[in-house]
Amino acid sequence: MAYLMHKTMIKRTCRQLAFTTCALLLTAGVAQAQSLDVTNARLSLLPGNTPGAGYFELHNSGDESVTLVGAESPAFESVEMHISSEHNGMAHMHAFESLDIGPDERIEFAPKGQHLMFMRRVAPLNEGDEVEVVLTFSDEQRLPVTFNVVSPTSL
Amino acid sequence: MYKVLLATLTTLLLVGCSDQSWRTTDVADIMPPLDFALVDENGDSVQAEEYLGKPTLVYFGYTYCPDVCPITLARLGDAIRKLDDETRDEIQVLFISVDPARDTPEVLKRYTDAFGPEFVGLSGDKAAIDAVTNRYRVAYEYGEENENGDYLVTHSSAVFAFDREGQAQFLVRDSHPVNDVEADIKRLVAQG
Repeated sequence: MAYLMHKTMIKRTCRQLAFTTCALLLTAGVAQAQSLDVTNARLSLLPGNTPGAGYFELHNSGDESVTLVGAESPAFESVEMHISSEHNGMAHMHAFESLDIGPDERIEFAPKGQHLMFMRRVAPLNEGDEVEVVLTFSDEQRLPVTFNVVSPTSL
Repeated sequence: MYKVLLATLTTLLLVGCSDQSWRTTDVADIMPPLDFALVDENGDSVQAEEYLGKPTLVYFGYTYCPDVCPITLARLGDAIRKLDDETRDEIQVLFISVDPARDTPEVLKRYTDAFGPEFVGLSGDKAAIDAVTNRYRVAYEYGEENENGDYLVTHSSAVFAFDREGQAQFLVRDSHPVNDVEADIKRLVAQG
């Protein structure tokens, strides 16, 4: 009987341990999300329904690499990651699917380089408005960021 | 004494040079004068002659371009706004869209108005656009449509500058420093 009791206790301890480990892992996930810091988030927009461009700086202060895989916003039907480049006097633009950001690395989405392309606004937007955007990562992290709507003439 | 003389001579030579050529790329001898037959922002047919009398900057792009085109136009706008009040009104920027399917006169008007009163949108049918792009040896190319019918357009990143008579003067490339671009625009406007 005593032996049985002992066995049950061990089982319980194991379960507790597993729970604690699980909780620790979850906490680690949250901590990792907190290690991503976005600054200077601007959405350059023109009147009408021409697409807008999103610019920001992102710092990964965590110990692990993260992979940015996209963005979404309730204010636009679709958001893509694009990169502008210049070869032989020609301006090119193409979509890209992911971007790795290493530990303590800072990346920049900036004019004439990497940018978010915001297509088909859901409702009219004006300079000075704020737009909620969620940056999505390969580990299913979702990072909410508020973008200020600005004119390209202010960049 | 000899050294001082040399330094003075060198300075004179440098000053002389800077008076002779543009800080961006000089195309006065290699590009033809301004000439086109296009459609303006109001849907009216227009000829290049109607735009003579003012120094003119020409950029080929499309409004569905969220990054490079607005930034290029905004920087030209910055350079224009640094000019004296009197000379500012004398310059015009022609934004020639190579994407007439999406860039209707109405879309172009709304787009160029956002950059300032000096900006004018022009486009036309493919033959009319090709006549201009061939004349200035620039290319453009449509990308494949995605499931939403969106497509990107690869286009020239150059800005062409013409004097009041429509003679080609200089060409601004993406790599030219902003200071040089501003200095050349200022000089273009100051020319009699």
